[in-house]
Amino acid sequence: MSGLERVAWESRVLEPRRDPALEAELRKSGGFVAPMVAYLSDCPWLARATGLLNEFSLGLRQLSPEVIDLIGLVVSQDSSCRYCYATQRLLMRAQGYSERRIRALEGSFFAAQREPRERAALEYARRVSRCEPRPGAADRAALRAAGWSDDAIRELALTASFNVFLNRVATLLALPVERLERMSRHWVVSLLSPVAALRIRALRARALRLPVPPAPRDGSWSGLVRALDGLRAAAVLGDLLEVAIASPLLPARAKGLAFAAIARGLGCPHGERAALALLEASGFARERAERTLANLGAPELDPVEAAVLPFARETIRYEPARIQRHARELATALPRGAFVELVGVTSLANMVCRLWLALEAP
Amino acid sequence: VTTALGLVALALGVALAWAWRRHVALRRQLDDASAELERLQQALRRFAPHALADEIVATGVSTHGERREVTALFADLVGFTPIAERTDPDVLVRVLNGYYERMSAAIAAHHGHLSTLIGDGILALFGALQANPWHSNDAAHAALAMQRALADYNRELAAGGLPALALGVGLHRGTGVAGLVGSRDLLQFTVVGPTVTVAARVQDMTRVHRAEILATEAVLSALDPRFQTRPLAPTALQGVAEPVATWAIIGFDGERH
Repeated sequence: MSGLERVAWESRVLEPRRDPALEAELRKSGGFVAPMVAYLSDCPWLARATGLLNEFSLGLRQLSPEVIDLIGLVVSQDSSCRYCYATQRLLMRAQGYSERRIRALEGSFFAAQREPRERAALEYARRVSRCEPRPGAADRAALRAAGWSDDAIRELALTASFNVFLNRVATLLALPVERLERMSRHWVVSLLSPVAALRIRALRARALRLPVPPAPRDGSWSGLVRALDGLRAAAVLGDLLEVAIASPLLPARAKGLAFAAIARGLGCPHGERAALALLEASGFARERAERTLANLGAPELDPVEAAVLPFARETIRYEPARIQRHARELATALPRGAFVELVGVTSLANMVCRLWLALEAP
Repeated sequence: VTTALGLVALALGVALAWAWRRHVALRRQLDDASAELERLQQALRRFAPHALADEIVATGVSTHGERREVTALFADLVGFTPIAERTDPDVLVRVLNGYYERMSAAIAAHHGHLSTLIGDGILALFGALQANPWHSNDAAHAALAMQRALADYNRELAAGGLPALALGVGLHRGTGVAGLVGSRDLLQFTVVGPTVTVAARVQDMTRVHRAEILATEAVLSALDPRFQTRPLAPTALQGVAEPVATWAIIGFDGERH
């Protein structure tokens, strides 16, 4: 049993609700459907995001699959996300890692015994996830000294922040973990590994063949998108942000406030500026938004906005069980679609702001 | 010869079986130790910033100090000495532990870090463990939550025939040096500097002003205008050159999760 399995974890916040049409679409476009999609179907952009982000993760060229997997473990451990940790373990087992090897890997990074190049990458991933202190030029210099190229460093930041996103989606919804944890240790998984490894290799080869579409060059998120130039992630992330903001499930002002609170809590001025622009576009005057952010509330907010702001702030750093109880309260107060979208927006904001800070993008 | 070879083979087999069992046992111990280390790392982060916790895990010690802007909350039980003198020691310990439990829950619920318990006094810090742009609001909300929690606790104490406790809270905002402070035998993560001293002195003033929660101007300037406050006359504080103006925090006009 890993130390993480002792972390308190609530029962699931929502019951799964499968959408066969959406799942068929995801299977056709990405080759597979993540189990968490069953909980996200009320917010289609979020369900699609899990596939798109997985796809660009598989299509990274500078990082070895093992480093990508290890970052998944390290960031999930750091965020105390039992679901993602068990999923990552299961995926590694399915790719042929023995239980013994995974345990050795776990032991080596908790005891900081990995070789310096890899250790620098994992430390950086942890730094991106924590954002306390914020990752900066000194961290990138240390990575370069350890032999990582600038392109690889971008991919490290991207992989770490993508895991930040997944960790939050899974934790805020308290996705069920016990079965996954049992499976991730079960010997039967190794029997399936030749087939699973082939499938993952095929998905990776497919992701590497995908073209790099042009990324949006202007708009509130352009600084971040430009910093990812040349990566498929640039266009994916740019589109994802536009779709998330345009989705009508949760009012635009509530989304803007949630994004702004997370940006302020993480000290990400660019993210905050983008969120304030979004608020201004939805009729929330700049000065009023500043006042609201300074106090995480204002008398004139509507009940949804007043509930969203403190919740968004809690998603920056949390103890799983506590935020899951808070999420459950919101799940009963909001329509299901709006609640799932709130989970998506706060997870996306945590990912985007951390990435923005890590890349020190304009 | 055959018997001797058989015996040697048997001895080797036994030795191998023993070595394998030993290997499995050691592997299990290593796994347990690794899980325990991971759990400790997680737990440690509740008491010290992440970077500091990692440094302690890696090197066993940290001499790193850092200037941080924090809000210090100093709380003390008013008129507790006579209660302590006339209460049975076992009961007193139980009463105090119940008090600390409720106060620390109120502090943690508002992103505070319980730094030190001094007798019946509590030093809590906001913005010390992690950067927190809302640390003064959090501290004021925590103070009000402590007040409410104590009112509930007093009802429980009264039902058991025990005297009510009264609270005084002082809040001050400023810069201090955050780090691990203490000796080899007792180390704690705290903030040192005038910010904490002023918060303690302001707490002393709660008796003079007959107010439960007092905040300095530095806190007030960062406070949500929905807090209901009452200005009080500037008062000389021990060790502070100029008289310090304080405001009583009476309530909060709104809801907060």
